[in-house]
Amino acid sequence: MAGATRSRLVEGETTATDAVAGATVGLSAVLFVLAVAAMFERVSLTETIAGLPTVALLGGLLIALGVAVIVFGVGSRLGYVETEPDSSAGLIASFGAAVPWLVIGGGVASETLGLGVTGGAAGAVVVGGLAFVATAVPREDVGSTVPLGALLAFVGAVFLTGTIGPAWLWDLGWEQQASITAEFLVPAATLFCALYGGWAAAKAYGRFGARGRHMGAYVLVYLNALSIIGFLFVLIAFVVVRGLPGLLTGVQVGAGVGPQVFGSFELPVSLPFVMNGVALLNDFQGVLPAIVGTIWLVVGAVLFAVPLGVGAAIFLTEYAERGRFTQAVEVATNGLWSTPSIVFGLFGFAFLVPRFGNRKSLLAGMLTLGFMLLPLVLITSREAMLSVPDEYRDASAALGVSKWQTVRSVVLPAALPGVVTGVILGVGRIAGETAPILLTMAGGTFVPGAQTVDVVGGFEFTGSPPFVANPELLQATSALPYQLYALISAGVGLGSNVSDPTGFRWATALVLLVVVLSFYAIGIGARYYFRRQLRHE
Amino acid sequence: MASATRSERLNAAAGQQVQRVRDFVDDTEPAALIVVTLIAVSLLTAFVGFLAVSNLTVLPFLLFVAATGYGWARHQEETALILTLTMTVSTLLILGLIIVFIFRESIPVIQYETATVFGVRVPGLRMFLQPNWDAVSPPIRYSMVPMIHGTLLVTVIATAVAGPLGVAAALFLSEIAPAVVREFVKPGVEILAGIPSIVYGFIGFTILSPWASDQFQTTGQGSYLFVGIVVGLMALPTVVSVAEDALSSVPESMKSGSLAVGTTDWQTMTSITLPAAFSGVSAAVLLGVGRAIGETMAATVMLRGVPRLTEPLVNVFYGQETLTSLIARNYGEADGLQMDALFVAGVILFITVLVISIGAQYIEWRMRSKLGGEA
Repeated sequence: MAGATRSRLVEGETTATDAVAGATVGLSAVLFVLAVAAMFERVSLTETIAGLPTVALLGGLLIALGVAVIVFGVGSRLGYVETEPDSSAGLIASFGAAVPWLVIGGGVASETLGLGVTGGAAGAVVVGGLAFVATAVPREDVGSTVPLGALLAFVGAVFLTGTIGPAWLWDLGWEQQASITAEFLVPAATLFCALYGGWAAAKAYGRFGARGRHMGAYVLVYLNALSIIGFLFVLIAFVVVRGLPGLLTGVQVGAGVGPQVFGSFELPVSLPFVMNGVALLNDFQGVLPAIVGTIWLVVGAVLFAVPLGVGAAIFLTEYAERGRFTQAVEVATNGLWSTPSIVFGLFGFAFLVPRFGNRKSLLAGMLTLGFMLLPLVLITSREAMLSVPDEYRDASAALGVSKWQTVRSVVLPAALPGVVTGVILGVGRIAGETAPILLTMAGGTFVPGAQTVDVVGGFEFTGSPPFVANPELLQATSALPYQLYALISAGVGLGSNVSDPTGFRWATALVLLVVVLSFYAIGIGARYYFRRQLRHE
Repeated sequence: MASATRSERLNAAAGQQVQRVRDFVDDTEPAALIVVTLIAVSLLTAFVGFLAVSNLTVLPFLLFVAATGYGWARHQEETALILTLTMTVSTLLILGLIIVFIFRESIPVIQYETATVFGVRVPGLRMFLQPNWDAVSPPIRYSMVPMIHGTLLVTVIATAVAGPLGVAAALFLSEIAPAVVREFVKPGVEILAGIPSIVYGFIGFTILSPWASDQFQTTGQGSYLFVGIVVGLMALPTVVSVAEDALSSVPESMKSGSLAVGTTDWQTMTSITLPAAFSGVSAAVLLGVGRAIGETMAATVMLRGVPRLTEPLVNVFYGQETLTSLIARNYGEADGLQMDALFVAGVILFITVLVISIGAQYIEWRMRSKLGGEA
């Protein structure tokens, strides 16, 4: 807890009881890992682990965990283990125990005993109700261990006796055919049982009572946070591992192998995947047009949204009095922020496309993404300006300067870090958006390298209004997220253009991820930097 | 009575506004006033020209640029004011334009799908009375029922994933995690929000869908269950960050008071922090629901793209189509009424999410005024 000092007043010695409870928590952790591994078929259900069939091993471990939990609870009730239990385990624990028993009761009554839907419902209510009562009525040490321990032992016995073996199958009998297989049920049931067992064991480790519940809850909350971070790492690592081979095809390092930039200077690296377009005669195909398209999209959206958003934020914080108008703008901004991206796409399609030559164009894509970026910029800039202390403004006003001068030379510089960070994070978000550009900007699946947009060189002046034209801006082009979507939906037809379609797709995903995440890395890094600067002041 | 006082109040407010404008006119030099008026009028003309798809739009726009440049050099104070004001108004304007344009496009199909109930002709009702979508062979019907069913299933599953996990993660970040751990986990959650939806969709399409099809022995690939789980993971960061804001806005004194009585951290959380921040946390879950409803690309790539109901309705192992994926999949070959029907799907999405957003804001506003903190 923030602000509270952590200190352990009583440093108890580790006793045998602690060791047993700790080992039980450890056992549930092992089961959890095994279940996850089996879920993703890292561990096969039909084979053996250490000489034992996998399902039987899981069953045995579950029974051991269940028995350990029960023994701990009963031992505490009989006074062999010193604990501080409350009079009841409480409603949340009771519901927690009732739900799995409800499912088991319903399943057994309706399917195993063949009593049908009504019988299943009755069985579910009876068994679930019993579990609820068994948790809620006895003292906490029994209530929070025995029903859960029995659950674990029951599931373990079902696995161990082979009632649910590796070949078990439950056809749901639906019109659109679907079945629950052992392949899914065994790991899923083990996963939930491991969580319940770990929860009960952690409560026991904390000696029940307030401390026990604290311990039980912390185990689950920490596990949740750990899983989220773990999921993120697995996701990124997975894309990197799958994408690298495709990205690195034909890579060359050495003087003069790369394409020419800035006239005659030749890059010492040649990475065809990001330096080539798609052409018939290319040795290696690449996604250069999509990368350039993404860059121009982001530039256009930022040029449109940042001045607009920051200006509106200035008006709202510095000039406007709080009232109906500011409230309406706030509601509208938050509404825009949560509007689905595909709706922005539809809007761009109905509003912008007919106004820019009635076809998909880079400019329409830029503006659509700009509309999406605007609320983000407005919200973050406003927060940054509101957090500038009023003393700054008062001090500046006391010097006799006008309001705008105060804004320009005091408020804006002080709010700049927040604005910049917000803009960068917002850009990361829109750079990965597919849905809006799908309807407003994107062209074919493969864009030849010769069609890489050159916005700066595309401007030309004309004799009639609107006097300035830029065909490059009014052309459909590609961007990384759209490229990936097009590659996925093109399916088999890809083979004629690219030698290794799967590798090409993963490499595109990797490049997209790298582009987007580097915006995030810069944004988060900038915030960290600015915060440290503030602390040093 | 109520209406009378309301109109009086409105009159008073309008009077105040007029007074403020009058004060502004009185206080400003005539030259600056002319520049400001020129800026406003030229921008308005340019906007009207843009709406009317006129080639001459550029003329008033150039005038606007010139007037702004001159105003910036000579009367910076007033120019800055009028510029920031127009920027604010344009935010409102964009929302208004979105409403006008997506509604306007959807009108023809709403008229086409008129149904008669109890002798009353209700435009658009037939889209919700029967579950048949057929854009090719007569009778041509554009029913929204299968897509609403799909969106509902996906959203329910996504909320079941994102709600509990998100609130637990928010508790961890705001109350439990040591500072060092938070420095790592918080950016992690932000990065999770940054992973593009098409990347999630791609992994779901290549890895998850075949796996799920194998596990549940379904015919073909694509299930609402796994789209729901993926969309739930994508909505997770929204829930975490909004809920964390709500939890950390509970005054420290309330928590310290509870801890001083001798409770554990967990007791303080369940009996003080969570109840106090309850409305903020529910707003977070609500915003997560909004994100889940609007998620497009993962659903488009992972679903089957056949607009019909699953048999039976609770069969989550088959995934047909959601409102968002309908638009993304069909915009290409659609024209005429079918295109307009896509706009109807957009209107349903837009209204639902807007209502959710306003509801969440109202809940947050009530929580802030209850806790007595400043906005």
